[in-house]
Amino acid sequence: MSRKSSDASAALRQKSSSVLAALLCILIGLLVGLIALFIINPEHAWSQGFLRIIQGGFYDFPYGVGKTFTNSAPLIMTGLSVAFAFKTGLFNIGAAGQYTLGAFGGLYCALILNLPWYVCLLASALFGAVWGAIPGIFKAYLNINEVITSIMFNWIGLYMVNEIIYARGTGAMYDANNTRTWKVADRSPQSLIPSCGLSDLFHTPSTTIAIFLAIAAAILVWVILEKTTFGYELKAVGLNKNAARYAGINEKKNIILSMTIAGALAGFGAGLLYLSAGAEWNPLNTTSLPAMGFNGIATALLAASNPIGTIFSSVFISHITVGGSFLPTKYFPTEIADLISGIIIYLCAFAMLFRGVIAKKLHVDKNTPDANAEPAVKTKKEGK
Amino acid sequence: MAEDFVIEMLHITKEFPGIKANDDVTLQLRRGEVHALLGENGAGKSTLMSVLFGLYQPEQGVIKKNGKEVNIKDPNVANDLGIGMVHQHFKLVECFSVLDNIMLGVEPCKAGFLQKEVARKKVVELSEKYGLRVDPDALISDISVGMQQRVEILKMLYRDNEILIFDEPTAVLTPQEIDELMEIMRGFKKEGKSILFITHKLNEIMAVADRCTVLRKGKGIGTVDIANTTKEELSRMMVGRDVQFAVEKAPTKPGDVVLSVRDMTVPSHVHKKNAVRGVSFDVRGGEIVCLAGIEGNGQTELVYGLTGLDKVTQGTITLDGKDITHASIRQRSKDGMSHIPEDRHKYGLVLDYSLENNMVLQRYWEPKFQKGGFIDKAAVREYSDRLIRQYDVRSGQGSMTIARSMSGGNQQKAIIAREIDKDPKLLVAVQPTRGLDVGAIEYIHKQIVAERDSGKAVLLVSLELDEVMNLSDRILVMYEGEIVGEFDPKTTTVQELGLYMAGAKKQGKEAQ
Amino acid sequence: MLLLIKYTLLYGIVLMLVALGGMFSEHSGVINIALEGIMVIGGLGGVLAVAVMPNSLPPFVIVTVSILVAALSGMVFSLLLAFASIHLKADQTIGGTALNMLATAIAIILAKNFNGSTSSKINYTNNAFLFKIGDLELSVFVPLGIVLLVISYIVMYKTRFGLRLRACGEHPQAADSVGINVYKMRYSGVLISGVLGGIGGLAYIIPSVQTWNFEVGVAGTGFLALAVMIFGQWKPVHIFGAAMFFAVFKSLANIADATILSQLGWSSNIYNMMPFIASMIILAFTSKNSMAPKAEGIPYDKGSR
Repeated sequence: MSRKSSDASAALRQKSSSVLAALLCILIGLLVGLIALFIINPEHAWSQGFLRIIQGGFYDFPYGVGKTFTNSAPLIMTGLSVAFAFKTGLFNIGAAGQYTLGAFGGLYCALILNLPWYVCLLASALFGAVWGAIPGIFKAYLNINEVITSIMFNWIGLYMVNEIIYARGTGAMYDANNTRTWKVADRSPQSLIPSCGLSDLFHTPSTTIAIFLAIAAAILVWVILEKTTFGYELKAVGLNKNAARYAGINEKKNIILSMTIAGALAGFGAGLLYLSAGAEWNPLNTTSLPAMGFNGIATALLAASNPIGTIFSSVFISHITVGGSFLPTKYFPTEIADLISGIIIYLCAFAMLFRGVIAKKLHVDKNTPDANAEPAVKTKKEGK
Repeated sequence: MAEDFVIEMLHITKEFPGIKANDDVTLQLRRGEVHALLGENGAGKSTLMSVLFGLYQPEQGVIKKNGKEVNIKDPNVANDLGIGMVHQHFKLVECFSVLDNIMLGVEPCKAGFLQKEVARKKVVELSEKYGLRVDPDALISDISVGMQQRVEILKMLYRDNEILIFDEPTAVLTPQEIDELMEIMRGFKKEGKSILFITHKLNEIMAVADRCTVLRKGKGIGTVDIANTTKEELSRMMVGRDVQFAVEKAPTKPGDVVLSVRDMTVPSHVHKKNAVRGVSFDVRGGEIVCLAGIEGNGQTELVYGLTGLDKVTQGTITLDGKDITHASIRQRSKDGMSHIPEDRHKYGLVLDYSLENNMVLQRYWEPKFQKGGFIDKAAVREYSDRLIRQYDVRSGQGSMTIARSMSGGNQQKAIIAREIDKDPKLLVAVQPTRGLDVGAIEYIHKQIVAERDSGKAVLLVSLELDEVMNLSDRILVMYEGEIVGEFDPKTTTVQELGLYMAGAKKQGKEAQ
Repeated sequence: MLLLIKYTLLYGIVLMLVALGGMFSEHSGVINIALEGIMVIGGLGGVLAVAVMPNSLPPFVIVTVSILVAALSGMVFSLLLAFASIHLKADQTIGGTALNMLATAIAIILAKNFNGSTSSKINYTNNAFLFKIGDLELSVFVPLGIVLLVISYIVMYKTRFGLRLRACGEHPQAADSVGINVYKMRYSGVLISGVLGGIGGLAYIIPSVQTWNFEVGVAGTGFLALAVMIFGQWKPVHIFGAAMFFAVFKSLANIADATILSQLGWSSNIYNMMPFIASMIILAFTSKNSMAPKAEGIPYDKGSR
């Protein structure tokens, strides 16, 4: 076997086992959802339950599909945010907080400053970036686990944004009649992301070019990670912080940059939703962080942190979530879709295991890779 | 009459994915003997002992105690059979006291509540009986390595073990401490305890063992009586061919000073004091200067300070006339410093990167390997392929091989290729042969000598006194963060070095 | 003032219980980010138990049964974390995150199903859980919490189990080499955290109101308990102190508008934020010598040593 082809086949094997592992996670997740549907209401479980989830947006075409795209755009971004940090060995559980700040930044520029949409989007990214940088700084300079910092700052961010927007009912961005922020379309139409006819096509005002912007971002992230020296550095830091330092890479700078970019991606995602007339912020909801941030973890894991894969996993998760929203509420709670994505992340947590098993099954190996190979050496994970 | 074997391991086979760690190995331990188990790194000694200790289950073979077959399915069973083990890497909980560590697993209890006083009494008795002085209430993190080893030995005695396994116990000790340990072993022998002593050091076997079983590449080569054998015979059995103990090298021709360190101080991460205290030395072109000492006397920190991995709080470092005391790691690399790190997995390689990506670890940013921030994969591949050919780095898929899947020897060869090919002025090599087999060690020694002969300055840090004596042109001994002596390997002895390494002697400051 | 003490005690005990749970899990070597989810499931189990039991039953029975159900639900749910992170060697943080998401989804589905409607609010009566000392109205969870704190301390430092548990979190290879079953100890640690977290969830929901909407879960209390555990440096008595300290802020948030504090013009958002900021500050100052169990977060593999 020539060297080139063995390289390609190894990469292919890795890719295909990743995809199969992801499909397996999805399959089991759907199965659990199906079982739950049957337990709740066996009579309607199949046709009005499971099939609607599977059909997703297509149940109500084209409106539903438009909705899927609307939701996919921010989800791709939070997924990218988590995936990007993963590549540098960081677990960005703070995407939810960065998303919150991003929503605030975008809405502030739109509702108060009435700036054009692209400036608002940049503001979203900027606010998210700041919120992402903080755990990065804590990690780099004080070696505090980014998971803990991110969790704390998720809540700090939520309370802070709510406080500023609500301001005891007097906030300039707050529409007391709807208990939400003002609609961007009413207050500042130039801050809306253009739809280029997509909203007419899908009969939904919130379908804009946001989905294409998200896809472009995914491709950009892929290029950065795979083709550039910056990506080489980031991944080296992620795979082995000490070796990266030994090689003269400034690992502190890379950790902070990685978290900052991850934050920017998540914040940008919030901008894509809130500036697409997709939703308004409700500052009275002080008890839960935006689910978009946590669903990003699911899509990143499902895609094995591959930026391009994140597009597909995000569209899929949106698809079943929209499907869930079409469930007849008299028979089923719409949270069945959340249940399914929860199960999928849970399975993804040990997807590595699946991947290994599948890789073995794919190649009941003919060629042992290295005659003098030793049992793999485990590197110790950095503690808190 | 059958011989009085206390433990017999017959035809043991233990496989790991892709490797037979033990292949039909037989070992028979007589009652009251010191039995050495000799083999190179990776020969399967530790695996065999882990099987005996119940940490691994063998695929084939039986273990007999006093002639009766036993099934040792976990360390508890081994303990019940009276088998105890001092592991190479101590198994001690750092934030527990000595007493807690000794009794862990066999705690005296009343209804689940600890009876520490009962344990304390027994520990004090044992430590007096065998002269193993320890403070039961000290935390493990506060006591020396030699003391920690005593705790490990007490753990075995506390469990009334009759069969004591020592896994490479001398690696962390000074020559004098090694003598003490040998004495303790002889004491155990007198008490009727049987000892299995794992090592790759021939001198120690000749000094203390009664018999020796030799392993090579997982296979049992044979068992010999020490009284009827020689070091050469043992080493032939271990390696499978004649081994040159001495490294061939021409006399040194030192040139100009390349590295000059003055009054360098580096703080410690373990304790509050400084790990390196005002150290000064020079390394000239064309000479190998060796830094000897017991592990943990500041050598690691000295190298960190020198290479920029740690900050130097005082003093200066000059490389080829340029002050690099506060230069970044990358700047030092550009200025001609190469560094073969102590821990190749922690520092030397990104194990999950391909070999080619590892080959350009410090150089990916050079214009040769990138254009406008985009990596030139073809150039990287070409460079990596050349190094692989030139330095004979073997791997499954050449440049594309993931570093993790390579053998330790080839990983180290890759690092050495990378570091030497940078054409440095100064090569800092820290324990470059640790954990490698004799073939790889010989290769690496040759490369280091070749660097010296081409006029490079070499600073070698080693814990192996044999390596120090064989390779160096000049020896500096470090003790508690200071350089306490300078020696010519031709005129000094290992015993002499040992006294300095243990802090028993110290040359005047002027001596260097 | 009385109100402040009441809220502080009620909420502090909740934080303490859950943080103690986290402590057991982490000392065994498993990072437990799923505390939030465990609280939700435990709370749901306990509340459902209260809701189905007829009011005519003696209060003692209602209290005991519901607490047991809460503990059991929390434990069963934590089994998912234990299984993933111990047997399947999954990433513990990711597993925990997934469980938090699952918990809310499961709770809403079950609550809606229980109601047979689209509402995830469950109504119950809580007077069995409350008692009065003078004018101070407290819940049974306060004395129960104190008892569990004492027991936790004794178990952790005075028993064989505690010594072995801590060994597994610090140096599992060492524990294994002296014949301690690391997997079993880690399961125990996680399951205990499930029990305490489950009880904590019930203790959070029950005393203050008579109806609970499971869409809000437990509003981040589980995460705050995680902060309490870190703030308390993984030690029971410190955790008690940290829990009470954090609870003061939360109580201020509850009563801010009704008292003299309202003149400060701070809204509940600001009080709610404070514990999180406080724990970040403490973390920043103690980061250099963290007392975190050394081996936490690293799956134990018998093969690698």
